[in-house]
Amino acid sequence: MTTTLPPAPDTATAPAATKPRPTVPVHVRPVIRFRSSRPDLLLCFGLLAVILLVQGWNITHFPTLSDDEGTYLAQAWAVQQGDGLAHYTYWYDHPPLGWVQIAALTWLPSLIAPETMTVATMRFAMLLVSAACAVLLYVLARRLFLPRWAAALAMLLFGLSPLSVVLQREIFLDNIAVMWMLLAFCLAASPSRHLWHHFAAGLAAATSVLTKETMLVVLPALLVTMWRHSHRDTRKYAVTGAVTACALIGLAYPLFALLNNELFPGPGHVSLIDGITYQMGREGSGSIFDSGSGSHGVFTSWLYYDRVLPLGGLAGAALLLVTLRWSVTARALAGPALAVAILAVVAMRPSGYLPAMYVIQALPFLALVLAGGAASVAHAVLRRPVDRPAAPIQARPRLRGGVPGGAPDQGPQSRSRLGIGVRHVVAGLLALAAAAYVVPSWYDGNRDALTVDANAPYRAAASWMQNEVADPASTRVLVDDALWLDLVHDGFEPGTGAIWFYKADLDPAVTKTMPRGWRDLDYVVSSPTVRRDAVDLPNVKAALEHSKPVAVFGDGEDRIEIRRITGGER
Amino acid sequence: MLISVFVVAISVALFWMAAFTLWWQMHAWRTPEILAATRFDRPDGGVGLSFSLLLPARHEQAVLEHTIERLLQSSHSNFEIIVIVGHDDPETAAVAERSAARDPLRVRVITDTHEVKNKPKALNTALPHCRGDIVGVFDAEDQVHPELLAHVDHAFTSTGADVVQGGVQLINFHSSWYSLRNCLEYFFWFRSRLHLHAQKGFIPLGGNTVFVRTAVLREADGWDPNCLAEDCDLGVRLSSVGKKVVVAYDSDMVTREETPGTLMSLLKQRTRWNQGFLQVYRKKDWKQLPGFGQRWLARYTLMTPFLQAFSGVIIPLNVAIALFLDVPVGVAIVTFLPLITAMVTFVFEIVGLHDFGKQYGLRVRFVHYLKLIVGGPFYQVLLAGAAIRAVWREQRGRNEWELTSHVGAHLTETREEVHR
Repeated sequence: MTTTLPPAPDTATAPAATKPRPTVPVHVRPVIRFRSSRPDLLLCFGLLAVILLVQGWNITHFPTLSDDEGTYLAQAWAVQQGDGLAHYTYWYDHPPLGWVQIAALTWLPSLIAPETMTVATMRFAMLLVSAACAVLLYVLARRLFLPRWAAALAMLLFGLSPLSVVLQREIFLDNIAVMWMLLAFCLAASPSRHLWHHFAAGLAAATSVLTKETMLVVLPALLVTMWRHSHRDTRKYAVTGAVTACALIGLAYPLFALLNNELFPGPGHVSLIDGITYQMGREGSGSIFDSGSGSHGVFTSWLYYDRVLPLGGLAGAALLLVTLRWSVTARALAGPALAVAILAVVAMRPSGYLPAMYVIQALPFLALVLAGGAASVAHAVLRRPVDRPAAPIQARPRLRGGVPGGAPDQGPQSRSRLGIGVRHVVAGLLALAAAAYVVPSWYDGNRDALTVDANAPYRAAASWMQNEVADPASTRVLVDDALWLDLVHDGFEPGTGAIWFYKADLDPAVTKTMPRGWRDLDYVVSSPTVRRDAVDLPNVKAALEHSKPVAVFGDGEDRIEIRRITGGER
Repeated sequence: MLISVFVVAISVALFWMAAFTLWWQMHAWRTPEILAATRFDRPDGGVGLSFSLLLPARHEQAVLEHTIERLLQSSHSNFEIIVIVGHDDPETAAVAERSAARDPLRVRVITDTHEVKNKPKALNTALPHCRGDIVGVFDAEDQVHPELLAHVDHAFTSTGADVVQGGVQLINFHSSWYSLRNCLEYFFWFRSRLHLHAQKGFIPLGGNTVFVRTAVLREADGWDPNCLAEDCDLGVRLSSVGKKVVVAYDSDMVTREETPGTLMSLLKQRTRWNQGFLQVYRKKDWKQLPGFGQRWLARYTLMTPFLQAFSGVIIPLNVAIALFLDVPVGVAIVTFLPLITAMVTFVFEIVGLHDFGKQYGLRVRFVHYLKLIVGGPFYQVLLAGAAIRAVWREQRGRNEWELTSHVGAHLTETREEVHR
């Protein structure tokens, strides 16, 4: 038998009970082993059950099916069919990894029952992603040394905020990207500080960015987290390894384009550079501070669902960043707080495109810093010595990364029992006040999510198309992405029979099949999205003008009309 | 289609090979705890064991005296130095005798009378004369730290080891482009990879700064006089029968050495090692290892030079196929896998060079990093050449030692050029 020398006395993981010697900086680090900690497991999976119940109940009926969900799921369907990365020409609008993952997630059900591959049904697949995100968030909170109650709070904020419930139910790439980024953070904060954990963090981060490219802006915050959680002696290997891993995997995307001869623009083909130029040059939606702008509209729509998480999270991040010098919690959460700060700054840039799902990538970090802020306040109220407020850190032995909520009490004589009682009363009152503010508004928001049926018109339209159209195989319909897969399952020809409405104007391959414009079509399924975008799409606009509604579902702005083309010869 | 399958198979195999090598190469830095455990434990001051330090010297009259003097400065109080000289090498013998005359209690000279000389024969000649509990081996040009013996003593007594391997480090990275890479190879091997081998229970030992309990060594019949890598062979034989090997590395306590003076002598040295590895592989002592994983590690480690040569040729070829032949994009992406691991290795080498500079207080300049990167492919060619040469020589039964010359570039004093 052979072996290395017995490990040197390990200062890094010395038990917290060791008496700190003032001359040697002892790095007290309670190592949280999630998998072997029964209270953590019980708490986390108990909360997970609640979150999944709230997010899963009524998931197909609320919120309204979105066009983007349809796009991604349809492209995932194309991947499953072996049709390449999209059923229309893939044009480098987003890196394809996101819907490749959706294809993998929905592969088994779509194999067993192909007709379940529709937006509403496949939202259930997103529950898996939500569950993974919620668990990872709890683990991350614990790895960032939040006490158990604060980790639970973060998980609840993240999973049950009405804003989260609405957005995490939808088939958005952002949700999957968040899952990978949370995994990257968890690995970066790995308690064993293992080189390959950090390396894997780089891989996960690259996967996240290739799932949704906007995650790129969060990478500095990941780097900060890794820096703080690595050990001085191995840091240079760990951090360079992670950066290398991230860069190399990220480069696979341009490499893919290069191998397809589609890296650089050229006549007759799409290119990655063109795709990036389009995304960067997307018309700005104005500043969120300008009450008339689209960005402001998006911002208020977030606040409509929940004010607590976005605004409270911002406040929490600000609190942590300001108290970085004094608070152990703030230092432990520097990474997530920085992520919130970066995302906030990017959202507040004077002009730029702010999509509705932008907030998704901020949700876990908002929840973390809000919970961290709460832990910080709780610590200040319950533990902080009142008689030495000026130099709280210097007065105590250095406890980098100690449990913020449970740092050892250094001034027992400074407080009487009465003082402790008062502190507990104050803490209790604060908690009560917070609960009194949050619970009613969340109750209202989540009641909608659990009861409202916003998709009845869509279902009715889908069923009309299925039952009333005699010969789907030779019928041509303009339809929005959310309904497209329903039609494909009904026997419409994907791509040229069931047509994503905007492709009729924007994709030369489709336009070619309709030389006489609207006259070559039979139906338009006019949903709010179609009516909104038709303004800039001449063929779609003409089709709407030369058609009559044969069935209308719902009323007002949200109605869905099935319009038959009149005057065409088909 | 056939080309695609072939290319994918090769790429995936190369990827795993490179990934494993990288994984092992980075062993010491996996966690801060592992890194801390690779160091020598601080000795508690007691002297438990006595040492016999073997110093084979052949045409080393220029450096030998200095080496002996330095060894005598050791803080340990119970050791003897046995200098082994050849009967046909009067200059070196004269130097050795002079040192022995000055300190007859601690320095002795043994004369090796073998007609054809090599290092294992010299060591075996001295083995019966060893009086210490522990036999240690050094080379005539080694710079040995005075505290080393005390630390090794402590390592033996505190762990009950049968073998202790200390660190050896080439220092003169600034001498040439290949010495830079050569130094770094040693750094990764002794700083990191060897600890993994000790942990896994299969270890090819180094040629010097290696200490074995005298009884264990005699029981194993000393060194194999016909093996070109007698050090590796000894390690394999001892670990295969379950002897406990401990490895320790402290940057201020390594034995400092120099790289071969010319590219040709580096090629010869590497050929000898490779040929030695081949011989050890064919001796099959490693088959006694109890664990399946251990046997695979042995097989893989002893084959490494040849796999390395093979991959050096295949990786560029593979990428060329991906770029210029008409293969599906997915297949082309797969062909880049080995390149990715190669690049990760490159990056870790750059970091390693930085760390090396820090640990030894050496100033590593930008041009050195540049040399490291640019020299990489050429060094690969050199390794491939040595591997092919080794196979060829082994095939033709040429087993004589091609010796490496030393110029003393790692010593601070200027020295005349010597050859052994």
